[in-house]
Amino acid sequence: MVQFVVDVLIRAVDLALIAIGLSSVYSLIRFPNVALVQYATTGALLALCLQMAGLPLVVAAIAACALVGIIAVVLNVIVFERLLRAGSAIAMIGSLALSMMFSAIFLVTAGPRPKRFELEINPPLRFLGARLTEHQLMSVGISALAIIVFALILFRTDLGRCMRATATNSVLASATGIDTRKVTNTVVFLSGVMAALGGIGLSVKGEMSAQLGLDMLLPVFAAAILGGLGNALGAAVGAVVIAAAETMVTNVNFGPLFGASVLFIPAAYATAASFLLLVVVLLIKPYGLFVSEVKRV
Amino acid sequence: MHKALLAAACLALSSLPALAQELVLGAVVPLSGASATLGDDQRRGIELAVDKINEKGGLLGGKKLRVIVEDSGGRAPSALDAAKKLVTVDNVPVVIGEYSSGITIPVGQYLVQEGRVHLNIGSSSGKIRGLGDGSFSLIGLDNVSSGFAAQDVVDNKWKKAAVIVPNNAYGQGVAEQFQKAFAALGGEVVTTVMYTEGQTTYRRELQQMERSEPDVYVYSAYGKEAATINRESFELGINATPWYAIYLSMCTSDADPKFIQGQYGLDLNYIGPDGAAYEAAYKAKYKEPFKTSFNGYGYDAVMMAAAAIEKAGSAEPKAISAALKEIGNGYKGATGDITFDADRQRSKQPYLKLKIEDGVQQR
Amino acid sequence: MFEFLIHVSIMACLYGLLSLSLNLQVGFAGLVNFGQVILFGCGTYGAAIAFSHQLGPVAGIALGIVFAVVVAAAFARLGRNLGADYWGIATLAVAEVLRILANNEAWLTGGAQGVSGIPLLFGDKPRPMGPLMTLGLCVALLIAAWWLCQRLTTSRYGLALKLMREEPQLAASLGYDLAVLKTQTLMVAAVLAAASGFVFAHYITFVGPDQLVSSETFLIWAMVIIGGSGNHLGAIVGAILMQFLFAFVPFVKDALGLPSEYVAAMRLTLVGGGLLVFLMWRTQGLIPERIGGKQNG
Repeated sequence: MVQFVVDVLIRAVDLALIAIGLSSVYSLIRFPNVALVQYATTGALLALCLQMAGLPLVVAAIAACALVGIIAVVLNVIVFERLLRAGSAIAMIGSLALSMMFSAIFLVTAGPRPKRFELEINPPLRFLGARLTEHQLMSVGISALAIIVFALILFRTDLGRCMRATATNSVLASATGIDTRKVTNTVVFLSGVMAALGGIGLSVKGEMSAQLGLDMLLPVFAAAILGGLGNALGAAVGAVVIAAAETMVTNVNFGPLFGASVLFIPAAYATAASFLLLVVVLLIKPYGLFVSEVKRV
Repeated sequence: MHKALLAAACLALSSLPALAQELVLGAVVPLSGASATLGDDQRRGIELAVDKINEKGGLLGGKKLRVIVEDSGGRAPSALDAAKKLVTVDNVPVVIGEYSSGITIPVGQYLVQEGRVHLNIGSSSGKIRGLGDGSFSLIGLDNVSSGFAAQDVVDNKWKKAAVIVPNNAYGQGVAEQFQKAFAALGGEVVTTVMYTEGQTTYRRELQQMERSEPDVYVYSAYGKEAATINRESFELGINATPWYAIYLSMCTSDADPKFIQGQYGLDLNYIGPDGAAYEAAYKAKYKEPFKTSFNGYGYDAVMMAAAAIEKAGSAEPKAISAALKEIGNGYKGATGDITFDADRQRSKQPYLKLKIEDGVQQR
Repeated sequence: MFEFLIHVSIMACLYGLLSLSLNLQVGFAGLVNFGQVILFGCGTYGAAIAFSHQLGPVAGIALGIVFAVVVAAAFARLGRNLGADYWGIATLAVAEVLRILANNEAWLTGGAQGVSGIPLLFGDKPRPMGPLMTLGLCVALLIAAWWLCQRLTTSRYGLALKLMREEPQLAASLGYDLAVLKTQTLMVAAVLAAASGFVFAHYITFVGPDQLVSSETFLIWAMVIIGGSGNHLGAIVGAILMQFLFAFVPFVKDALGLPSEYVAAMRLTLVGGGLLVFLMWRTQGLIPERIGGKQNG
């Protein structure tokens, strides 16, 4: 049981940061940015480059996050502001196109081989019967911290208030003197930082490759949509739900129910489980689990 | 941008007809997409063979050998585009490739229809056997390697095996054939996990296998997945149970030595007369040990095709095919002796039994 | 060279069908379908299953159309109360689930090893004639599909679709049943895609799950956007242009002496970059939609 919780938690933090980034940007500019998962890969690769250049990992990670945040803002100003004038579907397809360009760049610069951070790897710690490595613990800790900081920004600062005002009614917000463009770009910056941190967190625990982001695309989207796009903390809950669904499929022994000692749903269906869950939830709650705002047309 | 590319394409077309002093063969391998690491390694083997032949003065009285390597992108339509280009534009008699069975089969079928020679160097699906005259396999199909692995596992007195393989044409073939062979030898496969490629973690799959308390974990994997599985089996502590790798060097190429200490496995035999020299040439040119187990087949394919062309005295597909059947009887390749059966498949292959004990040791 | 051109032309026609089908959904009904490839897959697996059960090609096309209509109905059911972006992701998820099924249910689909040896449509004809007749069939199919789409969209029905795309509430208030409109469009589009898949299966002679990965959908999207969404001719031109560019990338590599991995990066750049350029600077595509259009009552 403890192992189950640990597994769900580890998987959930993998998804949560990128999903939160996705959802918070959506709350302001109303389109799901596919390229965000590529920001995660960019963050991991940049951090790796900086570490190889001699920086300590922590410094490299912070620098990489900031750089990715800046990249996100630049792309938002150059590409997405323009695309959004033609509608959110166009912007979404544009983000898809942008993500293909990222893939091409990764292919030429990083190549297809898996890479690792230079970190010492030790046997797992035992914790109430569950196995957990230091890096996993570290990654969970940092992610949890990032989520808390993000929630504090959202609910305890002026910036957060402006963000929420803009998200609810951007015309009214700008009428009351909020610089909505600045607010949007700040959030875009934060989403880039969250995505990069998510990518680095993933890579610290294991391998990274140019495919990292694209591999995360569907589960992250599933998490963000489950939580209700636009609801940043809902995305975190969505990540937990998706992680739990996948873990149930792979790790719950249905043997006793059928009189066999060991009987599992084939692991090949683990990914299908989260997508099915997504489809079923959308059938019942078309805007995800936690959206209370006015229904859009 | 499009205009410029079109212009470049036209330019390419006009400059195409190959020099008369050149003998051109073709290859289609995945240089991008999910199997890019393997495809790139196949290309290395091909390059080494071309270098070697041209150093020795080429073919048919001094013609230089050239192999046009095309990217399949890991998708069948692109692979067919490439194969059709090689056949109808470059007019090559022999096409080597691909890696995935799902792509090798349509490419092979097309080549057989066109009356060209097809050399399979990477796919092990049993369905390759039915491609027809003109299609040769230099790699033992699933039943060959899996049968050898099953025998080896039984010889080590392991009775209950848990199998983990990728959920693709390669993995499904290995799992099925291993299960069959192992059961016939009195063993029991207690669980088979087909993992989905491109996941960030396989912890949960590994824990599921652990529940059935096997004597041995049998696995085959490559690329990032292989690295992840090895690391996580170490992190979960389940590497205390023996691990058996089908193609050990491929499974462990990106792993930290600490994770794979004590693993058993089988691998290709590079100790034939050509093998040791080949391994040395590979290390010299690419400054690293074999990246996967698949480069040697690329090398042997080019060398055998060249030998067949010399023997036939021409580069006609029919003549090459006939000569290949004659040569393919105890041919000394870098991957060991190559003998084709009646279906032009390599039905026997000498594998090495290996164990990792502070580096790879022969058992 | 001649035969290579025939081959590329056949593929261009088949992609033309897919692109017409997607254009009908995106360009006319405003349905952001990211699961297009699975409609194509219904056609390929129809052919494959009919072949592996010795039912003959007529059963194959019938089976393909039945599958496609069922999937289209499922998509439409999902679309009833979802926003466009949510629906897009939901279709992507459904397509992935179906692909995973095809990959694992070997008793029906041949699993990851697929079904091989599907006969050529004109395999008994002598050499240049066989491929030429296939090309003739593909061109005829494409023209028929184009005619059908043209008839459909210049009628009152087409105007209703456009009205639904631009002003869904107005369309509903005028008495159009949006759910029915969407379902019908999806079904027509699905039949076109399935036809393409069926011919593809009998041309490539192999059907497998790797042919149904989501990147194939994005390729079709690029064709529609570059050609000009909302214009049938544009969709066809986009498909032909992309297919020829793709096929001739290796020649560029030969001419410039580039290493082969650049071919992959070039393909990605062609799709992604092409999409982005058109989205940003020429949203209407090569051949823009005719506003107003011919009206016959």
